[in-house]
Amino acid sequence: MTTIDDTAFAAPPARSRPNWASGTNLILMAIGAVLIVFCIVPFGLVIAISFGQKIEGAAWEWAFTFENYQRFFVGAEWPDTVTFLYLQRLGYALWYAVIASVLAVATALPFTYLMTRLSRAAQARWLVFLLASLSLSEVFIVMGWDILLSNRSGLPALFKATGLTDWLKDVGWFDVLREWGLANPRNVKFKPSQFATILTMSYLVWPYAVILLYPALSRLDTSLIEAARTMGARPFTVARTVILPSVRLPVIGSTFLLFVFLLGTYVAITVFANPAQHTTAVSIYESVRGASLNAPFGATQAVILLITAAVFLGLGQALNRASGGAR
Amino acid sequence: MLRIAGHLFMALSAVVLALPIVVVAASALNSGRTMLFPPEDPTLDRFWEFFVTETVWTTALLNSMIIAVGAAVLAVVLAWPLAYVLWSSGSKASKTLAALGSMPFALPPIVFGVGLGFFWAFLGALGTIAAGIISHGILFLALPLVTISIGLQSIDRANIEAAATMGATEAMIFRTVILPQTLPYTISGFFFALVLSFNEFIVMFFVSASAYATVTLQIFNSLRNGYTPTMAVGAITFITVSVLVFSAVARWGDLPRLMGADQSKT
Repeated sequence: MTTIDDTAFAAPPARSRPNWASGTNLILMAIGAVLIVFCIVPFGLVIAISFGQKIEGAAWEWAFTFENYQRFFVGAEWPDTVTFLYLQRLGYALWYAVIASVLAVATALPFTYLMTRLSRAAQARWLVFLLASLSLSEVFIVMGWDILLSNRSGLPALFKATGLTDWLKDVGWFDVLREWGLANPRNVKFKPSQFATILTMSYLVWPYAVILLYPALSRLDTSLIEAARTMGARPFTVARTVILPSVRLPVIGSTFLLFVFLLGTYVAITVFANPAQHTTAVSIYESVRGASLNAPFGATQAVILLITAAVFLGLGQALNRASGGAR
Repeated sequence: MLRIAGHLFMALSAVVLALPIVVVAASALNSGRTMLFPPEDPTLDRFWEFFVTETVWTTALLNSMIIAVGAAVLAVVLAWPLAYVLWSSGSKASKTLAALGSMPFALPPIVFGVGLGFFWAFLGALGTIAAGIISHGILFLALPLVTISIGLQSIDRANIEAAATMGATEAMIFRTVILPQTLPYTISGFFFALVLSFNEFIVMFFVSASAYATVTLQIFNSLRNGYTPTMAVGAITFITVSVLVFSAVARWGDLPRLMGADQSKT
C-alpha cells in the first residue's frame, strides 16, 4: 500500500522474546494444517472421484477409469454414437458468463468513475447500498427478477396495462420480439429466455464489478484529467485517452474474475434458462444430488469446470503481467 | 449537460439495482397466498408468520444465524494469526498459506461445494450444523484475511519503533498498539463473513444434504411450490441486516478505505 512500502521499516519488530516467536510458528503450522485439510482435500477428492465408477442401482466405487471423461466429451456410447450434450452445456456456461460479465463491467465502469468523483461521505453511502445488494443471496435476486419478469405480474402485465404491447404490435416490433422468443401471440414474455438469464446474472455480479473497479478509479490521478481538460480535450476524448488506458488492467482483471465466478451459477440458470440451454453447473447438481445419482460423473464435470476456471484465471493473470511489463 | 447525464446514469443504476429488492419487499405485504405486485390488501401478518408461528421458517432462521455467527468467528480466528504473520514476517510460507486460504473463494463455489459434500460424507459428518459452520468458515476466510491485512498495513511502524525503544515487549506492543488499531478492521472482516455466510446458497446446498435448511435453502426448496409472501419477509430481513451491518462498518470504520480508495483524499 502507500505508507509501508518503505523497506527500512519492513523488517519485523525486534524479537525480544524467542518463545513468542516459536509460538507464532506453531500457530502458523496449525493453521497451515487446517488449510491443507479443508482447502486442498475437498478439491483432491473431487479429482479422485472423477475417475471412479458408478455401480448400477447403488452408489459408486473407487476406480481408475476415463469413462466419465469420455462421456463428457463424446458421450457414453462412443464410438457407436457421438453426443456433444455435455460440451454444449459447458458452452452455454461460457456463453452466459462471458456476456453477463462483460455487460456488468461495461456498465459498472462509468458508474464507478462517477461514484469516485463524489464526496467521501456520499461514497460511503453508495458503498453501503452496493455491499448490501452484493451480499444479497442469489436466491432472493432470482426471486425478485422472477416476479418482475413473470407473465402474470411484473413487466409483461405492465406492458399490457400501459398499452405498450399494443404499441409494439402497431409499429411491428412485436414480431421481432416473437422471433427472438421474447413474446407469445398475446403479450411479451421474458422467461424462459437467454435475455432473462443474462440480465439476472449480470445483475448478480454488478455490485462486485463496482467494488473491484473502485480502488483503481479512486486512485486515478485527477491532475491528468484536469490537464487534458484545460488543454481543451473534450470529455469523451479524455475518457478514451486518459481514463480508459489507466484502468485497462483492472477492467480486464475484473472481467475475468466475474466471468469465473459466473461459470458456476446455478439458481438463475435453473429458473430462467430453457432446459435445453442449461449449463454444466445444473448438470453437476443432477449427477451429484439429483435424479441420475452418478457422483463420479458429477465430479468429472466439476473437475472440467474447475480446469476451465483455472485456465481463464491464469489467462487473466498472464494478460495482466504481459501488459504490466510493457508499461 | 454531461453532468446531468452522469447524474441520470447514477440514478438509473440505483433504480435498477433496487428494483428486484423493492418488488420482493413489497410482495411481503400481500395478504393472500400468492405473490402479486403491487400487493393486494397489504398486511404485516407474514412477518408474524416468518419470525414466530411457522416453525419451518423459525428453524431455518435459527440455523442460518448459528452457521453465520459460527463461520464468521472461525474465519476471523483463522485469519488473524495468518494476517499477522504475513504482515510481520512476509515469509514465503505465510504468503503460500494466504493464497491457499483465498482459493475456495476465488474458484466457482459449486466445485468447492461438491468437494466438501464428498469430504463430509467420508468423515460421516454430512448434514451436521458443525460441518456447515466449518465449510463457511473456510469459504469466507479470505474476507477477514483481507480486511485485517489492510488494518495491519495502516499501522504506522514508527509507533511500534517508539514503543520498542521505550522498552515495551512484543506482547505489550501487540496489546497496546496493534490490537486497538486493527480492531475496526477485524470487526469489519467478521461482519463481511457473517453477511455473506447468511446469504450463501450453493455450498450450503451440498453440505447440508437436505438434513437441515437455512433460510436461503428453505427459500430454494419452496421455489418449486411457487413463491409465498412469507418468503419475501426473509428477503426483507436479509437486506435489512446487510444494510445495518454495512452502515455500522461505514459509521465506525472507514468503508471507502476498506474498499481500497486512495487514503490521501478526504
